[in-house]
Amino acid sequence: MNNSNSDNNPAIATKELTLNMGPQHPATHGVLRLVLDLNGETIVKCTPYVGYLHRGVEKLAENRNYMQILPLTDRLDYISAMSNNLGYCVAVEKLFDIELPERTEYIRTIVGELSRIVNHLLWLATHALDIGAMTVFLYCFREREKILDLFERLCGARLTVSYPRIGGLKNDVDAQWLEDLYAFTDEFPMRVEQYETLINKNRIWLRRTKGIGVISAEEAINWGLSGPTLRGSGVPYDVRKVTSYGVYDKVKWEVCTGKNGDIYDRYRVRMDEFGQSTSIIRQCIEQIPQGPIMADAPKFTLPAKDKVLTDMEHLIHHFVLITKGPQTAPEGELYVSTEVPKGELGFFFVSDGTGKPYRMRVRSPSFVHVSALPRLCEGEFVADIIANIGSIDIVLGECDR
Amino acid sequence: MTVNELIKKVFFIEILQGLALTLKHLFKPAVTIQYPAERKEPFAGSRGLHALVRDSGTGREKCVGCGLCAAMCPSQCIHIYTSEGDDHKKVVDRYEIEVLRCVYCAFCVEACPYGAIVLTDHFEYSGYSREEFYYTKERLLENWDKYMAGNKGKEYLERFWRPRAVDFATPAPAKKEERAKQ
Ligand code: SF4
Ligand code: SF4
Repeated sequence: MNNSNSDNNPAIATKELTLNMGPQHPATHGVLRLVLDLNGETIVKCTPYVGYLHRGVEKLAENRNYMQILPLTDRLDYISAMSNNLGYCVAVEKLFDIELPERTEYIRTIVGELSRIVNHLLWLATHALDIGAMTVFLYCFREREKILDLFERLCGARLTVSYPRIGGLKNDVDAQWLEDLYAFTDEFPMRVEQYETLINKNRIWLRRTKGIGVISAEEAINWGLSGPTLRGSGVPYDVRKVTSYGVYDKVKWEVCTGKNGDIYDRYRVRMDEFGQSTSIIRQCIEQIPQGPIMADAPKFTLPAKDKVLTDMEHLIHHFVLITKGPQTAPEGELYVSTEVPKGELGFFFVSDGTGKPYRMRVRSPSFVHVSALPRLCEGEFVADIIANIGSIDIVLGECDR
Repeated sequence: MTVNELIKKVFFIEILQGLALTLKHLFKPAVTIQYPAERKEPFAGSRGLHALVRDSGTGREKCVGCGLCAAMCPSQCIHIYTSEGDDHKKVVDRYEIEVLRCVYCAFCVEACPYGAIVLTDHFEYSGYSREEFYYTKERLLENWDKYMAGNKGKEYLERFWRPRAVDFATPAPAKKEERAKQ
């Protein structure tokens, strides 16, 4: 789209303008830097630069034992720390071959889905704010606050929860907590309806999202997209369905998909996931059994405090486990992925049989999604970049690690 | 475009619906808290500033300087210096936490085999220098008196000093009727 005026008049030379967007830009959801080559309002080329939030989590992990790595995973995707913790624990448990008690699986599923709701609420809030709908932002934070309160009651922290443990959980949920959560799921669908009243049919919202940032199913797969970003293009791929963790096989739920692969469809997928998550949580609360919350895996889990205080064997074991880490980790390599709100989060371990991983690699959805950003943006208007960044739901803490 | 759609488009129906919703909220009580003036009580077991448990019998710290908390701490911000006392007992000379580096994971509480360290629910602290955030043994003991006074400290350890044997217990029969009533 060349400026027709200057085209007609050869005396006025036109050239592409290079614009630096970020790293300090409120709409880039963190410290993402984009270098844009612009022709008028149209983006000719978009180059993302990442790494401004690099904290060396993977390297740090090599110097921590398996138990100590857990708080590091909180800080990958700090919006849904619970899901990251779960993803890490599930991976380590696969590595150590630990069988979890049933109650733990139920609680993990509940908190995992709560984390999904928190994440999507924050995503909707900021995405809407970027596009210009301020009210949605405030309403979403109201509900998010309630879930964060539930998290705080559960484990003492609101954002960086560090709640799951290898082979179990920090502490059990109490009946009152479940009851309050159940009450929350009663009213939550009504709240989602409110958000939809505000933006679902709003003509500004539709103009900003429909037919923008389109990516076909095949291309989405080729770019390695995952999570709602992939499902928006109509690919019914969800790690919760294809691998077994949690109790996703024991509750009824569906994979939400879109059709056109544009920003609007990605938005719809996430809105539908609110409903699915709420229903999963309700079913889990109805079915949750009584029982222990820690796996019977003495080589990998801290011994019970009552035993440590009274029994020499347990005390010695406690000392060894904390100072050296789990000593009987099997050697080998393993990749395990889980479905976090943003997509597929994978942990790859190279274990040399010591208490620390020889190498831990994190496959984070945000990093892959950022790489697809040029494909989504090029040829579109500058203003659509903001909508596109919002629609792929990235967090730079996870992208840069 | 049907007539219905046209009417909706011309009269801004969807925008009016949104405005009606926000107007309704205008007359509802506010959900926000005016923070410095109003405060929200943290929930029990909130992970805030550390405190060293004071033994009610001896009036000294309960900590024996075993160093497990320091070994477990993922950010390695606990420093313990010990020496040999009169009757060859280990004495904790200095116990220091660099609070600015702490990530509030409560792993130190979990690691301690004596229940000698806790995280209090005090979270609003600030200062002008780094030294103010270098908590020494004396200041940590003071924290215990300030934030864990009375029964609070005992209750904290009872509830949050984990894991316990019940966490590993064999499954009891599911209490279906409990859930069914909902
Ligand atoms: S809470 Fe965690 S980071 Fe802070 S001192 Fe304790 S173990 Fe270290
Ligand atoms: S683990 Fe407990 S007893 Fe040992 S040094 Fe730390 S606070 Fe003291």
